[in-house]
Amino acid sequence: MNLVLHVSKQLANAFGLLLAVLVLNFCLIHAAPGDPALVIAGEMGGASADVIAALRVKYGLDKSMLEQLFTYLGKVTTGDFGYSYYFNEPVLGLIGQRIPATLYLVLSALAMSVVIGTLLGIISARKPNGLFSQGVTVISLAGYAAPVFWTGLMLLLLFGSVWPILPVTGMTDVARPKAGLAYVLDVMQHLVLPATTLGLVYIAQYSRLARVNMIDALTADYVRTARAKGLPEIIVIGKHALRNTLIPIVTVAGLQFGHLFAGAVLVETVFSWPGMGRLVFESILRRDYPTLLAVLFFSAVLVMAANIVTDLVYRLVDPRIRSGGR
Amino acid sequence: MTTIKSTAVKPDTTMLPARAATSPIAAALRQFARSPAGVAGAVVLILIILATLLGPHLYGVDPLDIAGAPLTPPDADAWLGTDYLGRDILSGLLQGGRATLAVGGVAALITIVIGVTMGSLAGFFGGPIDTALVKVTEFFQILPPLLFAMVLVTLFGQSLVVVTLAIGVVSWPSAARLTRAEFLRLRNLDFVKASRAAGGGNGHLILRVVLPNALPPIIVSATLAIGVAILFEGGLSFLGLGDPNTMSWGLMLGQNRNYVLDAWWTVTFPGAAIFIAVLAISLIGDGINDAINPRLRKRG
Repeated sequence: MNLVLHVSKQLANAFGLLLAVLVLNFCLIHAAPGDPALVIAGEMGGASADVIAALRVKYGLDKSMLEQLFTYLGKVTTGDFGYSYYFNEPVLGLIGQRIPATLYLVLSALAMSVVIGTLLGIISARKPNGLFSQGVTVISLAGYAAPVFWTGLMLLLLFGSVWPILPVTGMTDVARPKAGLAYVLDVMQHLVLPATTLGLVYIAQYSRLARVNMIDALTADYVRTARAKGLPEIIVIGKHALRNTLIPIVTVAGLQFGHLFAGAVLVETVFSWPGMGRLVFESILRRDYPTLLAVLFFSAVLVMAANIVTDLVYRLVDPRIRSGGR
Repeated sequence: MTTIKSTAVKPDTTMLPARAATSPIAAALRQFARSPAGVAGAVVLILIILATLLGPHLYGVDPLDIAGAPLTPPDADAWLGTDYLGRDILSGLLQGGRATLAVGGVAALITIVIGVTMGSLAGFFGGPIDTALVKVTEFFQILPPLLFAMVLVTLFGQSLVVVTLAIGVVSWPSAARLTRAEFLRLRNLDFVKASRAAGGGNGHLILRVVLPNALPPIIVSATLAIGVAILFEGGLSFLGLGDPNTMSWGLMLGQNRNYVLDAWWTVTFPGAAIFIAVLAISLIGDGINDAINPRLRKRG
């Protein structure tokens, strides 16, 4: 039916955009000052003129730009994103190793911020001028303005030296490796601080959003009808009003996936979390261009995927869109 | 013809001072003054700007000089302590604020100029131009902005100019979407049709007729863009991608972050400076929003 058509349209659009990202990547690496052959030679630790000439031939740098672009795109379709001299590994493998850790972090921060943000918003919407509501407003302003890496450092300071009850670096306890359930618990313990740091920014935003939408919803006719029917308050809010509060949050959360991912770069750097963000930091330090550009591409893939999922969820949550009648 | 035009302009200019009292800007300013949060934000921001402009002269310690032993806690000599090289933190804050605020302001300006140009062209013309520009905007939106900025700075060099341009180049899509929506809303209204019927060209219609009416939300978004750009500069510098030769709040955080557990003051103060500045700017943004969007004022 038309859902299938819609999704395939979106996938085609996504394909086009990702192709454009690859072309951008190609242009960036060629527009950057410095000869790529010299850069590679530099990464290898220096090379003679002969070796550099050989590198030019090997990487096709002696060919025309258009030919080089097609070679690059051809390589990418076979999963060849280049080779990282610093990590001494193909870039694709590197990214494959790092994606899970980043997804744990980003998804738990996302879940945390949507749940807590919505709850705070709902509670404060019930008494928009109450003390709790004003507290939430202050928290949301503060969460918006605090640099995420600074919040991370402050939490690291708090739990690293003042009140050391949580691990502050890495993803597992390296000194005491664990297996099975103990391993899962270990990772979860290490996840608390990074996920909280990243989540706080979005708790701030979503609580504000939920508050405004809940205040609107609570004055809407359908809520008055539900109350007039004698439904208990928990069902009026939890079922009728919540649905219309969640729609904008789901939309914004989906659209912000890219921001969340970029925030993860900073948070992972603070807590030495071994994900893509940490990889970005390391590849920036080493001027490891192939890795950096591949991360940019894969983050675009993740953002695209998040957009498509958001669109689907949106259709599920909002019946008006699902039926296709506008 | 020309003489008629010039005489037509004259009465207008003489009337300007009289009109200023009831001009929309004055009205908005009065409205803004009624928002305590907005005024508080403006006062704090002005204090910060004054501190960065006058502070370095008054405090008299060079932020790049070794002022004492490395990682000295705050004391009578170095009020906020010293960093890992023994440089004075307070002096760094005063001097570094200049670069941070300048990057924020200029990058926000670039963001708004690109965003408004793209958005107004797309929204005004519609059709294939709109489709094409929306595609370009969409393309920039799937690249995580901070990550894209990191790539640009890594490739094109760590100078203040590159950092500022990079932040501007990656941040414009939301301004473009906002402007486009406003133009779509306004372009078929009667006053625009009337101006077109009176012979106004596209350039005149965009710049003189539609844009002024689209400005209120753009001004708010421009204010908030300054805060976002400051956070971006901080993030880039924190990752070691700032200009290493220019003191900035982000640079202080990035350079000292490995010493956080031994010397809390080295990162706490620069981060707090960014926090307070961005908070002040977003309060101003909220205040402006309330002042120029009276319809929204009653909402939470």
